[in-house]
Amino acid sequence: MRSPKALGALWRKEVRELLLSRAFGLLLIAVGLLVGHAFITAVQTYAEMSGAGGGAAALTQGLSPLDGILVPTFGAYDLAATLLLPFVVIRTFGAERASGAWSLLVQSTVSTRTMIIVKAAALFAAWLVALVPGLLAVVLWRSYGGHVNGAELVTLLAGHLLRAGISVGIAAALACIAPQPATAAVATLAVTVGLWALDFIAATSGGIAEQFAAFGPAAALRQFEQGLVHASTVVVLVAVLASGLVAAMIWSVPGRRVQARLRLSAGALVVAMLVVGLASRLPWSWDVSEDQRHSFSPEVSSALRSISGELTVEAHLAPEDPRLADLRRGVLARMERVVKTRFVQRGGGGRTGLFAHPDSAYGEIWYSLAGKRVMERSTIDNIVVETVLRLAGKEQPTTGAESTYYGYSMNSEPRYAAFLFFLAWPLFMIAIFWRARRVS
Amino acid sequence: MPHVLHATAITRRFGVIEALRGAELRAETGRVTGLIGPNGAGKSTLLACVAGLDEPDSGTVTMDGVPTGATRHATSVFLVPDGARPWVDQSVAQVLSFFAAVHGAPSTLVAELHDALLLTALRTQRVGALSKGQGKRLLIALGLLTPHPFLLLDEPFDGLDLRQVRDVAALLRTHAERGRGLVLSIHQLTDAARTCDDLVLLDAGRTVAMGTLEDLRQRSGRPEGGIEEVFLALT
Repeated sequence: MRSPKALGALWRKEVRELLLSRAFGLLLIAVGLLVGHAFITAVQTYAEMSGAGGGAAALTQGLSPLDGILVPTFGAYDLAATLLLPFVVIRTFGAERASGAWSLLVQSTVSTRTMIIVKAAALFAAWLVALVPGLLAVVLWRSYGGHVNGAELVTLLAGHLLRAGISVGIAAALACIAPQPATAAVATLAVTVGLWALDFIAATSGGIAEQFAAFGPAAALRQFEQGLVHASTVVVLVAVLASGLVAAMIWSVPGRRVQARLRLSAGALVVAMLVVGLASRLPWSWDVSEDQRHSFSPEVSSALRSISGELTVEAHLAPEDPRLADLRRGVLARMERVVKTRFVQRGGGGRTGLFAHPDSAYGEIWYSLAGKRVMERSTIDNIVVETVLRLAGKEQPTTGAESTYYGYSMNSEPRYAAFLFFLAWPLFMIAIFWRARRVS
Repeated sequence: MPHVLHATAITRRFGVIEALRGAELRAETGRVTGLIGPNGAGKSTLLACVAGLDEPDSGTVTMDGVPTGATRHATSVFLVPDGARPWVDQSVAQVLSFFAAVHGAPSTLVAELHDALLLTALRTQRVGALSKGQGKRLLIALGLLTPHPFLLLDEPFDGLDLRQVRDVAALLRTHAERGRGLVLSIHQLTDAARTCDDLVLLDAGRTVAMGTLEDLRQRSGRPEGGIEEVFLALT
């Protein structure tokens, strides 16, 4: 039975638990302070770049509100999702188990699955509330006369929502597996440190670690921060969240032995890995950035799209070589969106020092297509594109202006921000939580 | 026709410890059954296995002859575990109204339990601030709000004073008369004799005797003996 009345009661109970939770209160207050600090700093830096105080303005084309204001302001949420949100999740999932409330709940006719989903929904609602300071910052920025691109903002918010989903999934699973909330907290922190280590290994060693790290929280969020939506990333993030919740369900159903739970968990893990493996091959992506930074000009894109077959790019560059990062994150990232591309990285010279490598072909980048190969060392966009088109026997298109994006300069003081984020928001939150505790 | 809850040959091992060794329990709706036994006899483990909160190594639990599988547990048996202190930050009224809504209990029942268990004065009190006895009364109220034919209460009188024990016992009897089957795990033998229609005597994971106090007297060979004498004779 899932009567609307029972579901409503469950939902209200979860909301009350969140409102009465010190962990959530601290998260909201901390997020307000972090967002405020980041926003004030970002507005001041943006003003300086725009020529505040009589200084020379930077090239306007480089002044993007996405990079200059939105990303740093919302950056506070990455920190909150990594270090604060897991504790709220652990409280939501673990406190009832520790207090014996869960054993009362699971004997009702509402299924464990429904209860877990209601908890997750309440946590997402809580995260939306936590996004309010960030949205207030956007409102302030607009009130200064600043520009905000709606698609970029929505993409950024979606990225932070999915980023929070990873935290919810992992912390929920661990809260239900661990016998005590404290153990779950330690395990969650261990996972966080492990993901940081994976990022580090990926940056220094490349290879399979890099492929895994591409779907880690930091790398996934970076795509959304850059106004890029990859279907594969979205599906993988949703799969991680779903897997965490499934694990939470497996470990929350009463009257099941540990061996049975382990078998079910292993099965769920295999399914999740299959989904992730298949999802990582999804080719679709959308460049929602206003300056279309992930796209070539329409003429070049059209010429590249007409290439049939798979382009193989073999770079003899060490993982830590900046040219490799330049190639992969720059022109190849755009290329992969229009041409089926396989990238092979060779050269582990970095193991004995940045440029100490025995590979005589070091620095060469080989492009192969339909049995033909060509070598080029440059990582500059135009040269790479020209090389690929030449290899494919296509003509280099004549393009118009390089970019139609002119940027937005904005010279303003962060008025009212300190009052709003450092005084009004914390006091408002304290008042709400104080009232919630008094009413109960 | 009363419903019958029957657990037979229940075994449960925790590592090298055999908590239950073929335990048996039988209860009927309309009656109060007391599960008695010394400390460590396996009373709480047996109740958890009957309620489906723990999985026995072997044995069966049936209601009216039909095994209570994972799905039927949710509609046939409800266990109020000893020592639970649910939703410590919420008020007594919030917890009761939440539980009533989840289980579809009528508001008249909620009001009745508020009065009968002296919870009215505690309505706005946080659950975490309740004393042991107050917390126990809240747990009993939560159990009585559920619609399951069988309600299992683990140590329902623990923490209650004499007057409260008598009042709670009378309340439980009233609910049994309304058609519910109550199974109470009790370590105070006098409370068990006063409250229960039937007794199940558990010792070292085995059911030693089942039946009315009179049946147990006959079995122990002390037809005139009190419950303590009978208990000592059978364990």
